[in-house]
Amino acid sequence: MGELQLRDVRKSYGQMEVIKGVNLDVDHGEFIVFVGPSGCGKSTLLRMIAGLEEITGGDITIEKKVVNDLPPVKRGIAMVFQSYALYPHMSVYENIAFPLRVERLAKDKVEEKVQAAAEILQLTERLQHKPGELSGGQRQRVAIGRAIVRAPSVFLFDEPLSNLDAALRAEMRVELAKLHSDLDATMIYVTHDQVEAMTMADRIVVLDQGVISQVGSPLELYHKPRNVFVAGFIGNPKMNFIEVTGKTADANGVTVTLPSGADITVKVATKTDVAGKPLTLGIRPEHLTLGTAEATIEVVPNVVEHLGIHTVTYSTVDGAKATFCSVLPGSAPAKVGKPVSMGLNGADCHLFNETGQAFERQLSLEDLDAADMHI
Amino acid sequence: MLHKYRWYEYVLIYAGLAVFLTFVLAPFVEAFVVSMRPLTSLFSIPYRFITDKMSFDAYFTMWENVPLLWMYMLNSFFIATAVTVLGLICIIPAAYAFARFEFPARNSLLGIFIAVNMFSGAVLIIPLFKLMQQYGLLNTYFAMIAPGTAFVIPTGIWLLRSYLVRIPKELEEAAWVDGAGKIYTLWRVIIPVALPGIVVVTITAFITAYAQQFIFALTFNSVNELNPLPVGLFQFFGRQNVVWNELMAASLVGILPVLFVYVFLQRYIVAGLTAGAVKE
Repeated sequence: MGELQLRDVRKSYGQMEVIKGVNLDVDHGEFIVFVGPSGCGKSTLLRMIAGLEEITGGDITIEKKVVNDLPPVKRGIAMVFQSYALYPHMSVYENIAFPLRVERLAKDKVEEKVQAAAEILQLTERLQHKPGELSGGQRQRVAIGRAIVRAPSVFLFDEPLSNLDAALRAEMRVELAKLHSDLDATMIYVTHDQVEAMTMADRIVVLDQGVISQVGSPLELYHKPRNVFVAGFIGNPKMNFIEVTGKTADANGVTVTLPSGADITVKVATKTDVAGKPLTLGIRPEHLTLGTAEATIEVVPNVVEHLGIHTVTYSTVDGAKATFCSVLPGSAPAKVGKPVSMGLNGADCHLFNETGQAFERQLSLEDLDAADMHI
Repeated sequence: MLHKYRWYEYVLIYAGLAVFLTFVLAPFVEAFVVSMRPLTSLFSIPYRFITDKMSFDAYFTMWENVPLLWMYMLNSFFIATAVTVLGLICIIPAAYAFARFEFPARNSLLGIFIAVNMFSGAVLIIPLFKLMQQYGLLNTYFAMIAPGTAFVIPTGIWLLRSYLVRIPKELEEAAWVDGAGKIYTLWRVIIPVALPGIVVVTITAFITAYAQQFIFALTFNSVNELNPLPVGLFQFFGRQNVVWNELMAASLVGILPVLFVYVFLQRYIVAGLTAGAVKE
């Protein structure tokens, strides 16, 4: 079935190494999403799995077979491109049938498979049209249709929704998730859109400059980012980072001093001595509260966005590395230029050492899942 | 872009067009008028465009005066078509290779191709003659087709290559992922998508071949039945006088195949054939 292993996979262009040793195990039927900023190597990695880029080092194994030197079609993969890559002179039917024509499959078999794919993707009405007559969403479905007729063990998607408008993207996201459960296939999906990553993935692979920064379930990445990069990348708006100084560490967590002089105890596990060390405190904008809390920070908003459900403020704060952002309830009385005191609780905070690695939070993901269930 | 021309800009544009069109079309008009006039009133002084007894007689008598005229026209068309077809067979794969594959000396080879093009066929006529003579190829269709083909290839490669590099690479990658080989991809994906470019190359090659056959036929061929039209037209040059009106009539009729090819092919130069291939 569709298991996939990457063992110390590397890629260099001349002197420049773009993929610096990636290890990953994907089980059959998993939906894996590669995310990362542009240039992190996520598309290159996908193309290496597809067989469109040669790998410089390491092994790629699909269904227990090393496929390093095999052409794409022998790897049992199918790929959907960002630009759809439909053949403009062929009808939708011929586009979907293309891989089968290459295989020289019998006519009635082709008919049967194309009809089945068209059924799944609701393209039956469109089979005789040319790609140029279709909307963006339909074109993308044709591209997916071309992938599913081959019944591959692994599907590869290279930012398939990034050319669609927001409403269609949301719709296609749901369709893709449904397709994944219908087809019972392994899917690897590249995106820079973290909403896509969070909503569709079984596991997310966060890539940063050619290395895997963290692999985990969406909630794991949200609640327990392993380093500053993942913490800042997952979550929207971005997590706020504040320079703090370590004070004491005990079983309850680490107590740090904020730039304002206030102390706060962050519930993380630590064994190292933190006293006097410069640390980074992370707090997500949605975890800031108005008024009383374990500690407060005085901010003066520069920009206030009223979204109805939320009020988002942006301010400059001493010790914060970038704009300090908060997501408050829609009714929050925030005004530009009017000082507000933001409350933060130690249980919501993240703590990172000088090298950007996180102290593990005292939080069990099972508890989070249970909490979700009750809601 | 929203831009409206002012009235005097329109006047300038159309005046410019009129000047160019006059230069281009005047010889044709003159040829047509001459073909209609009787031979006796051709050299009237002062010169007159319209004379008495204008008729289409020349268009009928020319076939009698030069009985092989239809043969020359057919030869011309055949040689140009053969050059175009053979040229395309070489140009398409070569242009694809130059557009897509990385290989040593790719750019210098392209440079050499354009450099070869700078020699006019005339410079190479004598060496070519020696070659043809050596291999006993003189006085054959081959002698007129082969050099013609060689000369349309470099331009063709350049033209088509620049069209092919603009075809999105994902199309080939998608075909490759779907299991298609290079030849299959070229045949089933690239050529249909590149059709407008190929049509441009076909027209250029055909017109070049039609125009350049004169020099090759004149040098490499002395069999009357194999002559193309430009050489055949010499039959209108008599011992005493030149039958100008029939010569012009034959020339105009001889142009028709090119005109026909152009009109027929230009329908295929349609914009937006790649529409829907990829998101722009």
